[in-house]
Amino acid sequence: MKLALIRIGFYAILFVVWYLIVKVGEIPNYILPAPIDVFESFYFGFLKGGYLIGIFSSLVRVLIGYFLALIIGVVTGILLARYYLLDITFGKSILALQSIPSVAWVPLALLWFGITDKAVIFIIILEAVLPVALSTKNAMKNIPLNLIRAAQTLGSKGLHLYQNVILKAMIPELVTGLRLSWAFAWRALIAGELFISGAGIGQTLELGRSLADMAQVISMITTIGVIGFLTENIFFGSIEKNVRLAWGLDAQK
Amino acid sequence: MDELSPKIEFKNVSKSFDHNSNAEKILEDISFDIYADEFVCILGPSGSGKSTVLGLIAGFIKATSGKISFNSKPIKRPDSSRTLVFQDYALFPWLNIIDNVGFGLTTKTKNKNEIRGKALEYLNLVGLSAYKDHSISQLSGGMKQRVAIARALCAEPEVLLLDEPFGALDQQTRENMQIEILRLWGKSKKTVVFVTHSVDEALKLADRIILIGGKPGKLLYNTNISISRPRDLKDSELNKIRSQIIDRLAQPEFSMGSGI
Ligand SMILES: Nc1ncnc2c1ncn2[C@@H]1O[C@H](COP(=O)(O)OP(=O)(O)O)[C@@H](O)[C@H]1O
Ligand SMILES: [Mg+2]
Repeated sequence: MKLALIRIGFYAILFVVWYLIVKVGEIPNYILPAPIDVFESFYFGFLKGGYLIGIFSSLVRVLIGYFLALIIGVVTGILLARYYLLDITFGKSILALQSIPSVAWVPLALLWFGITDKAVIFIIILEAVLPVALSTKNAMKNIPLNLIRAAQTLGSKGLHLYQNVILKAMIPELVTGLRLSWAFAWRALIAGELFISGAGIGQTLELGRSLADMAQVISMITTIGVIGFLTENIFFGSIEKNVRLAWGLDAQK
Repeated sequence: MDELSPKIEFKNVSKSFDHNSNAEKILEDISFDIYADEFVCILGPSGSGKSTVLGLIAGFIKATSGKISFNSKPIKRPDSSRTLVFQDYALFPWLNIIDNVGFGLTTKTKNKNEIRGKALEYLNLVGLSAYKDHSISQLSGGMKQRVAIARALCAEPEVLLLDEPFGALDQQTRENMQIEILRLWGKSKKTVVFVTHSVDEALKLADRIILIGGKPGKLLYNTNISISRPRDLKDSELNKIRSQIIDRLAQPEFSMGSGI
């Protein structure tokens, strides 16, 4: 209760200061609009404009890229865990790949795929595949040997062993990888969309820039933050928490 | 099956592990027989290769040389005729207790009711049926080991292998579990191979003690104990066996850390 009050107070002060800066400093609209202008942009954007369509198109793009990345990443991770030669060659270069920000892939993707959805999905896959591959590899290598041996002496082998023991033992670490991968995918989506045509959050953001509509720019930035927060922290965060509880990794309260 | 042929047979078994391109010999020229329904303790200081012997019997470790048979056939891979109980329990944390116990049956049948029924039976046997829906992390060490034993028995093995199963338990729990394992063995009449580094534990439990020691581990002693249970550790015959065991472990060429 007290916490909520403090937070409300914080935002109230923030908006007041924002408002005062704009009014007292006589700052032009295209540099910094007043809070009310941004609310207006939200209101009309969601009610009449293309915000919802943009968000929907973006989600479709990111989900396609993300799921493709999951499949490729899990397979790559399993191969890396199983084949030593692959790990010391390709496995090492993954770390270097991971330090390339997604925007760096944009020129390449645009030349290959043009200013289309495919370019964005390509960038998303490049970004999202690595955390999944790495966590799959580590999860596989970290399975306690005795769990597998216990299962084998209980008669489990082949597909049964994979489904009921190996995969299950990997899940907590895998979930952490999935969450990280989603965060990467989300960032890559926005970076890629700035450069392509069609509906999307990134395009709406870029459109705001070209029309000098700073209210729209700010409302899109806010939208990106809110959706990112909800999916990364609320959705994946709760999955991760529940899995850790179910696997007995965190104490039950 | 010929009643008189051994259940498990080790013939001149040696085992080496590769250590950075060096082969390190762990077991050397071990031969022994284990018969059906016997309660055998494999005794030895830590590092002498006891777990390796169990791994060889279970089938997930391969001998470097020599012959190991089970029911007169060579052991190729692990299967549910020989189940293993680990010191660290190795329970599946994502399964609740009854599903852990029933795990072995899921490899044989899809009938959920049958699996649950059997699992409950074995949970009953170790006195934990009230905890059937609990998660693993809610149990104490002694209870976890009971679940692990129930899980190993529920797969209906011919041989139950136990690797220092009570090593992580406090003294009181350990003594209770020793009584418990004898009771379960008496009830189910399985062949039991029980690994321990405690001489007294072996003296209390075993029909026969197989002593392994030295580096590489060799067979030092193989003796029957035909004293009825429960046993008094001060019993004069047990004292005699104890001192023979200690004698053999004390021989310089067999003591720990020597023989480099
Ligand atoms: N997979 C393995 N690779 C290499 N060395 C091993 C392996 N397993 C066991 N050893 C070595 O074999 C020796 C005996 O191990 P172990 O059978 O676990 O002995 P014990 O159970 O009697 O303590 C130890 O020195 C151990 O380091
Ligand atoms: Mg051991």
